[in-house]
Amino acid sequence: MSLIRVSTTLNSLRQSSLRLSTVISRWKSTEAAESIEIPNRIHRSPTAILEALASTVGRDPTAPHYKYHDDPYMVPNSNMTKRTYAMAQESGRKAAKWIKENNRELFMHSEAEPPIAAFAPEMVFTEESEVSEQTLKDLIQQCEITDAVFVYNLMKTKGIEIDDALKQSLLELVCFYNNSEPISEEFIEERWFKQGAANRDRLSKSWKDGDLAEQLFNELPKTAQSYSALIRGMCKYYQVERAYALFHESIEKQIELDTKTFNSLLLVSSFIKESGEMRWEFCVDLLRQMKERQLRPDIGTLNAALKTISTIGHHKLCRTGAIKVLSEFKAIGIEPSLGSYCYVLNIFCREKGPTSHVLVDILNEIQGKEFQIQDIRDTSFFVTAMEICRNHLHDKNLAKKLNELLHTGKNYDLIGDSYKESVYYRHYFGLLCRTEELETFMETYNHLVPNIYIPEPGIMEEILKAVEVNGALELIPRLWTDMTVFEHVNRESLVLQVLKIMQENKPMLNLEKHQGLNEQFAKIADNIYHKIADQDPIKVQKLSFSGQMLGDIISLLVRGAENQKAIDVFKFAEDHQHSIPGTPNESVLLELVDACIEEKSPSVAISCLQYSVENNMNGLQLADKIKKGFTLNENHLAKVNHLVNEK
Amino acid sequence: MSQLTRFLERNLQNPSLRLSAIQIRHLSSQAEEEKSFDDEEFRVLNLRPTQVQRQQRRVYKKDEPQPPRTKVMPVDQDWPNVWPGPRTFHPASVPLPLRQGFTEKNAPPPSKYGNAELMKIPNFLHLTPPAINRQCEALKKFCTPWPKNLETAEKWEKHFPVEIVKSDYCHALPSVRQPEARKVSLKIKLSNLKFDKHSKDKFLRLVGDRYNHENDVLTIQTDRCPTKKQNYDYAQYLLTACYYESFEVEDWEATKSLADMEVYEFEHNKSKISTEAILNWGSSGDKKKVDPGFAKSVETLINEGENEYNLKKYKEESKKLLGLK
Repeated sequence: MSLIRVSTTLNSLRQSSLRLSTVISRWKSTEAAESIEIPNRIHRSPTAILEALASTVGRDPTAPHYKYHDDPYMVPNSNMTKRTYAMAQESGRKAAKWIKENNRELFMHSEAEPPIAAFAPEMVFTEESEVSEQTLKDLIQQCEITDAVFVYNLMKTKGIEIDDALKQSLLELVCFYNNSEPISEEFIEERWFKQGAANRDRLSKSWKDGDLAEQLFNELPKTAQSYSALIRGMCKYYQVERAYALFHESIEKQIELDTKTFNSLLLVSSFIKESGEMRWEFCVDLLRQMKERQLRPDIGTLNAALKTISTIGHHKLCRTGAIKVLSEFKAIGIEPSLGSYCYVLNIFCREKGPTSHVLVDILNEIQGKEFQIQDIRDTSFFVTAMEICRNHLHDKNLAKKLNELLHTGKNYDLIGDSYKESVYYRHYFGLLCRTEELETFMETYNHLVPNIYIPEPGIMEEILKAVEVNGALELIPRLWTDMTVFEHVNRESLVLQVLKIMQENKPMLNLEKHQGLNEQFAKIADNIYHKIADQDPIKVQKLSFSGQMLGDIISLLVRGAENQKAIDVFKFAEDHQHSIPGTPNESVLLELVDACIEEKSPSVAISCLQYSVENNMNGLQLADKIKKGFTLNENHLAKVNHLVNEK
Repeated sequence: MSQLTRFLERNLQNPSLRLSAIQIRHLSSQAEEEKSFDDEEFRVLNLRPTQVQRQQRRVYKKDEPQPPRTKVMPVDQDWPNVWPGPRTFHPASVPLPLRQGFTEKNAPPPSKYGNAELMKIPNFLHLTPPAINRQCEALKKFCTPWPKNLETAEKWEKHFPVEIVKSDYCHALPSVRQPEARKVSLKIKLSNLKFDKHSKDKFLRLVGDRYNHENDVLTIQTDRCPTKKQNYDYAQYLLTACYYESFEVEDWEATKSLADMEVYEFEHNKSKISTEAILNWGSSGDKKKVDPGFAKSVETLINEGENEYNLKKYKEESKKLLGLK
């Protein structure tokens, strides 16, 4: 029996502490008249309670990701600021680390109890350090590759004997990391933002030939472990020829390699064999050898085989191959991971190939399941599948199903990195924008933008198109604010599109939601005009005016009853006639003259006429309007007549 | 100034000086240089680089901050997601028109924006009833049902007479240790233990003021060992040791004389002999016993001291004993 009482007490240490629980238990007396049934304790992991509490909290779409400060001044609003802010934080972390390493003497105390190893400065090994086998063992355990190699060399120069088992584990470490330091696991943000870029240039040979790994290998007795380690390392860093040669050597020596080594060779089969058929044969051959050795294949084997098949160009061959492989692995009870499905999608849904509905079957199979990472490729599934939904199948319901799967349990951990996440949402938005009704689409938009996803300019263009098609002009002011915030305003095509939509579609003033749009449009036009006119002269990529653009701005200003501003813009156009390509439409000039009449400024109207005449337009209509609208004095009248007659 | 320039010009032939002249020229701005070339004879030496027109510094336009996110919050949003844990108040995240603070008379208290008063006080926005409800639901799976046949407090006490009190602490310090956490206290009602007269007396002497006469509860608190487990074992050991020790009778206990008695007992005192002598005055054969009421009154009179009530009682009993009216 236990009662939990929570009360606060003042701690003798300088901080207040929470008296978490006071457990009162009673000993059972020996005499029990009635039988008492005390249920058994439910065992739980140390973090089970925290996990249970965390499961009650969902994502708040109005808030930024929790790594940013929840404050309007510090919330990133564009993809660039998102990246910059996160990386700035990371670089602060790095600076702190650097200071910690450079002022070691200040951090030698350990306040924490039990001591936290990460807070202490790292060990520094010099030529004079006392090292033993245990030191090396610990370093290998902690994956400190640089230090481990240094200590190994030091031990060698000091003539300390090293056990073969320890050498083997060092060999494994060196092969895994290719004798170079990886990005520290502490730097999550760097990994999150970097991986997309890093993956692309990794496909070339980066194995360090003749380096420590091979020296260690030569020193060690030739066992299955040492062969496995070296072959796997070489395959991982694409030294395929030598890996293959070593593989042959090991077979000649009748050394029994393990499944993982076979998997690594399967993964690089596209580098070993040139043509599709040969790769397939090679793959089958390896699998047969595994069978001879009675090695049980695992999920890695399945994924490697599928990867090989996905690199084969021949359509029929790879389809039949994939089906064969999948059914055989199913027969031996290996469940495909998300990575396997990703390869299957690559195989069946090719750009030029026939449409395949394999994704529908896959989603039916895995709907509602929660996945754990098993293969690095698992993180590509969602983005690949969404791309197929958009470009291959054009199926919004399938996309929604996929999105639901992504938000099941902890599946969101498998989204990959920032790059993959944004590509995923790009495809999702692109698809919904084309197929969904605008109203429902805007619900998704409001939900995801800007904290989870910020549309790229291309997607913005699609959204604008959809808005134009649906005549939903009331959305334009909101989208324009978003575009300004997302830093899309320096894209000429987007600015032109917004202007075109506003100019060509007049708001219907009898509709309630279109009320006041003219004024808002005028504001946007004014905003655009100032954005371009007041650009920083140092800026490299500058936006420039075109006559069309200025015409749109003028007409929008006139419609929004901002006549004076419209006249200013016209004056600007007149002054810069020679540097601005194109001219405003004649209809725009007509609108402007109307505005001049309202403003009672005949001189502007006449310069408008002059401008049109100079730019080879028919000024007769304008002239008529001016004559009707104003009571002109002689000078003006003469000028108008002169201009019109000159034609 | 111009004299100095001329002096410089004259010395231009000197190669060591030429360098400095060039440097000086670099200091002056472009415009000035052009001017000095216009009239060749008197070039102006500008010794103060501050006069150089500075290039206009770029004005950094800071983006306008977004409107507070309370404006886009839907009314039916899930509040525990917005405010999942304890946090300092933030006006842009809390969609409530809160006001707090001191102002002039007849003015409303300051609004939530930039209001330090609201940030100072701890808030319980994360402990809304739905949030607590949800957390309880999530924690339910770790709880077992209450044991059967143990529904009432009397039953707890009957079946589990010993009570152990331990404490755990949670605080924000680098160390997880808390000195208070090692304390263990053990409680038991003495009526649950079986004593005879001697052992009870000895036991009470052993435990001293750890025994509460009012509610018959013995409390043993241990904190001399460094860990909770050790203190728990030690408390159990103390109870066991005291209990068995109280049954031991030492040789010297037999030598306890009347003067060593801690309370007055009628049975063993002179008073009993004298009273009996008075009662049996001159009679032989059956000896009369002293009435227990009288014995009681004497004991209370001596043990508790003289007061009106005790004296009156003693008087009545004495009269009764002697048969006086």
